[in-house]
Amino acid sequence: MLVFTRRKHETIMIGDGIEVRVLRVGREGVRIGIVAPPEVPVHRQEIYNQIRDANRSAADTAHPMAAIAEQLRRHS
Amino acid sequence: MTMAQANVPAERLQVHSRFADTDVNPGDVLMFAEGLPGYESTRQFVLLDVPDQAPLKVLHAVNATEPCFLVVDPKCVLPTYRYELSDSDRHRLGAKDASALLWLAMVIVDDAGTAAVNLRAPIVINPERMTGRQVMPNACVYPLRYILGQ
Repeated sequence: MLVFTRRKHETIMIGDGIEVRVLRVGREGVRIGIVAPPEVPVHRQEIYNQIRDANRSAADTAHPMAAIAEQLRRHS
Repeated sequence: MTMAQANVPAERLQVHSRFADTDVNPGDVLMFAEGLPGYESTRQFVLLDVPDQAPLKVLHAVNATEPCFLVVDPKCVLPTYRYELSDSDRHRLGAKDASALLWLAMVIVDDAGTAAVNLRAPIVINPERMTGRQVMPNACVYPLRYILGQ
């Protein structure tokens, strides 16, 4: 892992198009701004992980489709 | 495509799991350029209607037995559902505007058989380009598991 020391308003460039800037340094955390091209996804890792876990739970459910479809029809 | 290629019959693609056992036209394949979180290497899916199981549909990996997801129009679950697609997601779907896009939410069933719907990170499909992706805006009011019957 590359490690840098950066102060407030200082920036790291990744490739040509990605800029990571330190906006504020506080006791509870560091506020970071990211400028990236539209084709580069940027996510908080914990949100990505939550969605990954939800997808794994959703995949290949063992329950009968008819029972789930019935729950949906009752709900709507 | 050249004339010679056009004359070759398109090879049907296999879709096989306990939810579907069929073959599909290559023209029906949706390309998920980044896969899905947890299934990053699976890029090709088809969306299947299943007789008598409306409003459920199946989002199925092509030429693989997994993953396979039960999906539903989020407005079916929450009629007020509204989602602002980011320019970046629209760009990656190759969509000029958001009007023709198809929205789907994954169904998650717990061990007790209670169904929840992922309204937090919906799947968006652009039928014009046959592209799809799962979107996950950083600010979102909808839950990852919206339990049916609420």
